[in-house]
Amino acid sequence: MAVASNPSAGTRGAPIFRIDSLVKEYAMGEVTVSALRGVSLEVKQGEFLVILGPSGSGKSTLLNIVGGLDAPTSGDVWFRDENLSAFNERQFTLYRRNHIGFIFQFYNLMPNLTAKENVEMATEISVNPIDPVEALALVELTDRADHFPSQLSGGEQQRVAIARAIAKRPEILLCDEPTGALDVATGKIVLNALRAVNERVDTTVLLITHNASIGGLGDRIIRMRDGGIRTIIENKRRLSVDEVEW
Amino acid sequence: MKPLTKKLFRTIMKTRGQSLAVAAVVLCGTACFICLVSVHRNLLLTRDTYYAQYRFADFEIMLERAPNTTLFKLENIPGVRQVRGRIVEEVNLDLPGRTGRLVSLPNRAESPLNDIVVRKGRYFSEGAQNEVIVSERFAQANHFSIGDILRITVDGKRHALKIVGEGLSPEYVILIRSVQDMVPAPERFGILWVPQDFAETALSMSAAYNNVVGSVDDPEQLDAILDRCEDVLDSYGIFAKIKQKNQISASFVADEIRGLEVMARIMTTVCLGLSALVIFILLSRMVRNERTLIGLMKAYGYSNLSVATHYVLFSLILSAVGCVGGFAAGHAMAGGMLKMYAQFYQFPLLRSQVYPDIVVKSLGIAILFAFLGSLSASIRASRIRPADAMRPEAPVIGHRVLLESWGWLWVRMGFTWKMIARNVSRSRFRASLNAFGVMISSGIIIMGFFSLDGIQYMLSFQFELAEKEDVKISFAKEMGKAALHESARIENVLLAEPLLQYPFEMRNGWKKKDVVVIGMERDGKLRDLMNTDEEVVDVGERGLVLSETIAEQLGVGVGDFVTLKPLMGRITKERTASVSKVVKQYFGASAYMNINALSRILGEPFAMNAALLDTEPGMERSISDQLNDAPFVSAVEVKVDALESLMDTIGQNIAIMTGAILTFSGVIAFSIIYNVTLVSLAERQRELASLRVMGFTHREVGSILYNENFVTGAIGLILGIPFGMTICRLMVNAFQTDLYRMPYHIAPRTFIIATVLTVVFIAISNFAVRNKIHGLDMVEVLKARE
Repeated sequence: MAVASNPSAGTRGAPIFRIDSLVKEYAMGEVTVSALRGVSLEVKQGEFLVILGPSGSGKSTLLNIVGGLDAPTSGDVWFRDENLSAFNERQFTLYRRNHIGFIFQFYNLMPNLTAKENVEMATEISVNPIDPVEALALVELTDRADHFPSQLSGGEQQRVAIARAIAKRPEILLCDEPTGALDVATGKIVLNALRAVNERVDTTVLLITHNASIGGLGDRIIRMRDGGIRTIIENKRRLSVDEVEW
Repeated sequence: MKPLTKKLFRTIMKTRGQSLAVAAVVLCGTACFICLVSVHRNLLLTRDTYYAQYRFADFEIMLERAPNTTLFKLENIPGVRQVRGRIVEEVNLDLPGRTGRLVSLPNRAESPLNDIVVRKGRYFSEGAQNEVIVSERFAQANHFSIGDILRITVDGKRHALKIVGEGLSPEYVILIRSVQDMVPAPERFGILWVPQDFAETALSMSAAYNNVVGSVDDPEQLDAILDRCEDVLDSYGIFAKIKQKNQISASFVADEIRGLEVMARIMTTVCLGLSALVIFILLSRMVRNERTLIGLMKAYGYSNLSVATHYVLFSLILSAVGCVGGFAAGHAMAGGMLKMYAQFYQFPLLRSQVYPDIVVKSLGIAILFAFLGSLSASIRASRIRPADAMRPEAPVIGHRVLLESWGWLWVRMGFTWKMIARNVSRSRFRASLNAFGVMISSGIIIMGFFSLDGIQYMLSFQFELAEKEDVKISFAKEMGKAALHESARIENVLLAEPLLQYPFEMRNGWKKKDVVVIGMERDGKLRDLMNTDEEVVDVGERGLVLSETIAEQLGVGVGDFVTLKPLMGRITKERTASVSKVVKQYFGASAYMNINALSRILGEPFAMNAALLDTEPGMERSISDQLNDAPFVSAVEVKVDALESLMDTIGQNIAIMTGAILTFSGVIAFSIIYNVTLVSLAERQRELASLRVMGFTHREVGSILYNENFVTGAIGLILGIPFGMTICRLMVNAFQTDLYRMPYHIAPRTFIIATVLTVVFIAISNFAVRNKIHGLDMVEVLKARE
């Protein structure tokens, strides 16, 4: 299969993921823990999807499987017309490289590369990257480009992580508690950055959080519990970041 | 089992790759120690018992001819215990290219000085004249059997001798005809022990001797005793007085024994020192990793001491494991090394013995180094305060590196290389350690191959640059010009040149030295007087050219005069000669002069005692065959034969040497690089996992670590080359003796080998780390803050 970077493929609203009866079980010694118990979901191109749930609800596992970090025990994940369940290690790597951007609660920047170099690191392996300077401009960090992570605040570091993730022009941005380690004000700046990327570059965003207030930002809000989807709410009126409080 | 002990063993099992690598370096160190120290002791003990049991003489005097009556006078010199007059003569065998040294022994076995060990066959039978005992290796190499007839030419007359035995002697532990030969050629040169009666008859020396060996009460008094001997024998043409320590075989053996001691010290310290360093990084990382755990243990009430002991024990166990391997490897190596020695040295019994005290000592040294290596980390562990330990460690701080001031280069560097550059400068100690390991490893490679280079260089220096002749004929006495013309007329001889070698006692005031002066033609084409810079030195019309060693010993320089007292023949008149040049030479004991000037010193218009021949290619052997029977010819040497047998001996040892060098340098390089890389992998797994998440392949992620190793390796190699060269220089100085000087010559090939091997070692270490990179669990690593 060819996993090539093709950012213009698909139009807004067309399905990008089809998740079908996804099951993930972990063998923890002699006990088997079910992290996902048959999850099915469709994600559309350009969508801003917020997945809510307490810890242990399976939302991170879902994100990891969709992002090609983990393989399901059973069930299928279709990325357009390719089935991730059939991927080997190398295909997963290429898939992540060409289509996925990850953002974590802890920013995972290279401590000995500057902000700009951290972004360059991503553009180096990308076919059609955004210019690193431009990527940093998108998250409003142009003036901090030459600083090392240790010289940046938490919010700034997270924005570098976003710039790094979007610089590859991924179709999907997977965010695992991106504001979890930040105070409200900084968290809002980060969320604004994500929103901007979603709107301007048309990137699909899957954001997971246990913070229900953030749900209002999404096109759809999915609530998970005990490894399954409980509700899916179509959000008629997306809130702006400034309207969100927690 | 206490929980802490359980944890200890589980930690070792979990880090078994790294632990084994540490143990491997300890193994190398212990193996080196055990091998070198026990070989040293074996050689020393074997030599000393051999010398004592077979009564190796304390001195030897070579002379023209003295009557047996003088022996009583010698024995009466105070301090002399015993003397024995004997007949020693170089002879040609009836076999092409083979020469021998005839050495007389008492007609009946009576354990004289310089006795022999009869290894096969028997001693001479009563009254038998034409019997010979042949040196063992010579007999083996030429497939002589007991009962074979050996035909030799002595003093122009042919004799047939029946081989009755094979023997060894403490005098010829290493059987080398002259220092210039460097390595034994067992096929081409051997000792022929004959009954005294036969030697006296064959050389017309009845009741006379030309060589006397003696033992003394106190070897410290040797100088004085030799002076007294000289007084007694003055009128009988002494041409060399040799103390035991200067005797060729004895001095080679002594050098080797001394070398072993030095090597044992260096190799053990280097290996165990490195093991201490590796333990240091491994434990420092471990203590940092287990900070919280340490805090917890202390919070529960474990004492600082028990925490510190825990980490010290870790290193001691690794070290002990390495030691046990080292015992086995060391003894195996000692056996192999003794086998190698057995090729060069002929001892009646040389066995690899296990000495418990050496084993205990090696264990003690290894443990000491392991303890030192673990000290700093253990102290740090004991100092951790429980409350501090619960807080996360300060984050890594990025820095700009020097390289960044070179803007044009920095801009062109990919981020991987930027990361490598910053990492190297961030963890300087680890990077230095990597470089240090490679430096030591490449230094060992250079040192190992240097000794081969040295021998090969000497061979080409001696046989291609200095001695260009194909055949050398030695005459039994001084000859006139006619001998030269005759030599030139031999069929297939293109050119013949004369040579005159004559022993003198050279004197400057009270300083004196026995020196062979070599008279050569000034514009000769077959012999060049070369200095160590490979420059041809003009021998001049008159005046002496001295080697630096002689000049230093006599305290003379250019323009000074020395007194020459001939040590051979009928000429006893002393002359003075001026020193015209001092040259640096590999073989120290020679002086040179224009052949005409040297002849005049001997009172002759022209004299020669050797002829050098340039022959049609391939005809050397047939010429040598023709000359074997010629009158006055005492020896015929064919250069290609000499070279061939030398190369044989050397070739056998190259394989052994190479194996040893590869093992040691490889283990050292691998163990350090592997450990350092794993530590740095553990420290940066978060960074590397994020790269994987971003879509970097295993190979791309690995290449950051791999290339970092190549960068530090390159630095190590760059340092290793001068380091290796320095060791070689030290070796040259350490092994310089009166007799010879080791050439400081490292072939370009050696540097290439060192580079290639270093790259290979790093590649192997990288390959070993590969699995760990594949095993990085992205989800697990990124889930929580470290």
